[in-house]
Amino acid sequence: MITVTINKKNYDLDIDPETPLLWVLRDVIGLVGTKYGCGVAQCGACVVHLNGEAVRSCVTKISRAAGQKVVTIEGLSEKNDHPLQKAWMEVDVVQCGYCQAGQIMAAAVLLRENKNPTDDDIDKALEGNICRCGTYLRIKKAIHLAAAMQRKNVKG
Amino acid sequence: MTKFVLTIAVLVSITGLLASGFRKNTVPVAINNIDSTASVAAFMEVYKVLMSPRCMNCHPAGDIPLQGDDNHLHTMSPIRGKDGKGVYAMKCSNCHQPTNSPGLNAPPGNPKWALPPADMKMVFEGRSPRELALQIMDYKRNGHKNKAQLIEHARDTLVKAGWNMGEGRKPPPLSYTEFVVAWDEWINKGGIAPAN
Amino acid sequence: MEQSKPTQTRRSFLKASFLAGGGLLISFTWIPESGLADPVKNIDNPAPWNELTGYIKITPDNIVKILNPNPEFGQNVMTSLPMIVAEELDADWQKVVIEMGPHDNVKLGPQFTGGSNSVRMYWRPLREAGAAARNMLMQAAAETWSAPIEEVTTKGGMVYHQKSGKSGTYGSFATKASSLPIPKGVKLKEVKDFKVIRSSQKNVEGLKIITGKPLFGLDYKHEGMLIAMIEHPPAFGMKLKSFDAAEALKMPGIKDVFQQQLYEDGFEQGGFDTRTFNDLLVVVGKTTWEVMNARKKLKVAWEPTGDTKDTMGGRNGKREVVVPGALETTTAQLEKMQAYAKQPAQQLRKDGDPETAFKNAAHVIERTYTAPFLAHNCLEPINFFAHVTDEKALLVGPLQAPGWTEPTLAKILKLPADKIDIQMTRMGGGFGRRAYGHYLIEAALISKKIKAPVKLIYTREDDMTYGIYRPMYMATYRAALDANKNLIAFHVKGGGIPEHAIHANRFPAGAVDNYLAEGWQIPSNITIGAFRAPRSNFNAAAEQSFLDELAEAMGKDPIDLRLELLKRAKENPVGKNNDYDADRYAGVLKLVKEKSGWGNTENSKYSRGVAAYFCHNSYAAHVVDIVIKNNKPYVERVFSAMDCGIVINPDAASNMVEGAVVDGIGNAFYGKLTHKDGAAEQNNFNRYRMIRHSEAPKKIEVHFVQNDKDPTGLGEPPFPPVFGAVANALYKSTNKRYYSQPFMTEALQQINNRKKSF
Repeated sequence: MITVTINKKNYDLDIDPETPLLWVLRDVIGLVGTKYGCGVAQCGACVVHLNGEAVRSCVTKISRAAGQKVVTIEGLSEKNDHPLQKAWMEVDVVQCGYCQAGQIMAAAVLLRENKNPTDDDIDKALEGNICRCGTYLRIKKAIHLAAAMQRKNVKG
Repeated sequence: MTKFVLTIAVLVSITGLLASGFRKNTVPVAINNIDSTASVAAFMEVYKVLMSPRCMNCHPAGDIPLQGDDNHLHTMSPIRGKDGKGVYAMKCSNCHQPTNSPGLNAPPGNPKWALPPADMKMVFEGRSPRELALQIMDYKRNGHKNKAQLIEHARDTLVKAGWNMGEGRKPPPLSYTEFVVAWDEWINKGGIAPAN
Repeated sequence: MEQSKPTQTRRSFLKASFLAGGGLLISFTWIPESGLADPVKNIDNPAPWNELTGYIKITPDNIVKILNPNPEFGQNVMTSLPMIVAEELDADWQKVVIEMGPHDNVKLGPQFTGGSNSVRMYWRPLREAGAAARNMLMQAAAETWSAPIEEVTTKGGMVYHQKSGKSGTYGSFATKASSLPIPKGVKLKEVKDFKVIRSSQKNVEGLKIITGKPLFGLDYKHEGMLIAMIEHPPAFGMKLKSFDAAEALKMPGIKDVFQQQLYEDGFEQGGFDTRTFNDLLVVVGKTTWEVMNARKKLKVAWEPTGDTKDTMGGRNGKREVVVPGALETTTAQLEKMQAYAKQPAQQLRKDGDPETAFKNAAHVIERTYTAPFLAHNCLEPINFFAHVTDEKALLVGPLQAPGWTEPTLAKILKLPADKIDIQMTRMGGGFGRRAYGHYLIEAALISKKIKAPVKLIYTREDDMTYGIYRPMYMATYRAALDANKNLIAFHVKGGGIPEHAIHANRFPAGAVDNYLAEGWQIPSNITIGAFRAPRSNFNAAAEQSFLDELAEAMGKDPIDLRLELLKRAKENPVGKNNDYDADRYAGVLKLVKEKSGWGNTENSKYSRGVAAYFCHNSYAAHVVDIVIKNNKPYVERVFSAMDCGIVINPDAASNMVEGAVVDGIGNAFYGKLTHKDGAAEQNNFNRYRMIRHSEAPKKIEVHFVQNDKDPTGLGEPPFPPVFGAVANALYKSTNKRYYSQPFMTEALQQINNRKKSF
């Protein structure tokens, strides 16, 4: 039995410990916001937070998450008001939308560690996230906006 | 008596200076019972392994690891970062799990997966045999390892992982056992650097 | 004021009815008399294929629901089509709700998302339906208030009678309005009075996307649903010989492993029934991971198919096509193309006497261009849900053209069309790939066999190696100059595996006295299909690069040369059926020239390339600015000029152009699918390189020509000329011309070589 905390909720899972976290989220628990794009950690659509770090759930076994805290896009904020989510709406980033959860989850780690990222920092953080529709410029714009929102909130 | 002591002291100093090759920034690891021919021969075997993809890919000259049997730049350009563990959402352990991920093209794994840190890059890529040998035997450039630690390093889990990296990755040109024998021989016989 | 009246090009029918539960339903049918051309096969479809139907519902609680009949894959028709309705209806945009329509061949026609056609096709019918509904609501209010309709006005979903101070919501009059006859000759708004159209509105599904709501086919769940995967052959030209599933069946969660035939022998395929493999080895289990694991335990023997025959249906009766069995390798294919290029080819268009002109030319320039197969690589891999019983079928998932796939389903499942319910989810990308519904047939057959609801999933490897690629192309361009460096003849001879890309009536046809276009093709077992601006996506690379070289040979600026040729095409056109409007084509070139500061010294640090193209009814021109960064060519800026008529949603339209530019750069630099002995050599993103964050430009500045023309498409038109502009900028940047896509490897070599020699 593997116990995992996902979006602040505890789950007891009777499951093969080798199962990737991605398929536990999607097929077992029913959280489908985290996407399957490649299965080999090349596209970033599957990024979730494991104890705050942006792991690729398609290759992360559920055993690695045992007793740990996982946050998915559904749990990034309680009221859909994470600065990244607000910025994404403000900039109207999305086209097909399939990659965006992964982009946001990766960007969330960037913004936690770097309050004022440059375009170069964004590249370093999100180079592993593919957007097939090409919304990269808007993603950068939204991240800068979210960072500004964050800095403003901190100032109070 | 004092003249004698003084002479010895001077001789030892000169020997010491000669042994260090007059390099001010190196701190050679101290070895006894030197056999330079055997040591150099052993190192040429070691060199083959260290310059093979399974080792060299994570000892790159730049700040992006190499990848694959053809040593191409790692896709997605993850960068070393200060501690060698990557940065932001591209930390090594974000993709590289504690064990190999099954399947072709899935990332190999180890709990210690990382590059050397930025202040101790331990570059293999582009090194001649002489350069590499001198680097490894230099306390200041080898991660501050003394002789015992150097010997121990070949037994390190991450080093061993080079022989077990999963589907589609050629193992180093010597078996692990052969490598360890050559490594020990090289170091125990003096850790001598080849002429070139 | 525009009147809505039947023109000779289409018939429209509006019908009003009462909504169960109260309210007004306006449904419309609109049939263009001349069939819309099949964007892939260049044939006309019979008129019923193009019947467009939709509806507007207004409920008593004042919600306006409009049906979005066309599947959504990021082009944002879910936002733009309802905007059109809201405009004429004069509804409160915030209160307009989009319903994604199921496929209903009886009510809703082909529902084809592709060819950059959605806005263009629905522009008229949606406006008429919106205007009619508004008129009926005003009528209902006027009757209720006993006021003359001339005194009744509307604004933002409310009806007003200023004289008496009365007002009411649309919803309050909807039920009454539903009993009124459809008004004749309702006036449409003038363009200058638009309040919703031409304003930027946010993507209506944006919030759902960024909070992880289930939206895509892969997210769809159904009670009792199983998961199926197909173990396809490892190469084109191979098929299933035998298999041993003993180990696989023992794996946890596995229900069944079996062989399933897709099409029966002699099955008549339509244009979108393309499939690569016909004998399917299917694994069915409870969860995705379990099925993935069981596949690894299969012991399978494959054998060559040899030459096979496909039966193709069509309006002119059926014909048999031989599919060659040879296992193909890219290097050999290139050699074969070179040989074919030297053979006589089919003439597609001839003006004047090109042979003589070339013979007498003072100078002839000849260049040959090639481009590889491309995989669509939509980020959401192929998948579809099916629940098929003897009586009916429910199918849910990502699909661009339900109208094309449903007849095939009906035939194969032996069910009448009205017992087949296809529901389209949001697609994680389409790009043309999802117009080919083989995966629905596969899912349906699997469901029928195992008598259970099932979702068929393709892994990324399955998806990337299945085929239905953008074809492999080659084209040789020749230009003849006289002693004064005037262009006297132009010749393009294009070929491809398995088909060429030539559009013989496109520019510069019409601008050159002596013109010849020829095409050849080499059949193959590698399947192909529409890929974002089919054929154009290669033409605009080759032709626009060639025009650049021609300009240089003629001592002219590349934009000036094009403008000169366009002037000729307008004032004194050559030949017939010139498939472009020379003014509008020149318009985007002039706009991009101005906005990019073409020729200004402040831009001299950039290596600049320009290209323009007309396809899918819109005009596009780009100036691409390259710099060398870290010893690599980097597109730092792009200036884009578009003419697509009225822009419904300006910011979303800019997003589309930005995306097409990024897509174009990525494919120009990296896109490549090669084969060895029939097997695709790239099967995931580690080998098939996609453009990533650091490679996207710092700036893409999009400008739209401001005119009031009826809107035309935007999904495809900006894409093709990007390739040409990149090639032309690379020339300036590395002092070398590039003739073979993708460009990056060669460009890097050139940069390296130049470094060494300095």
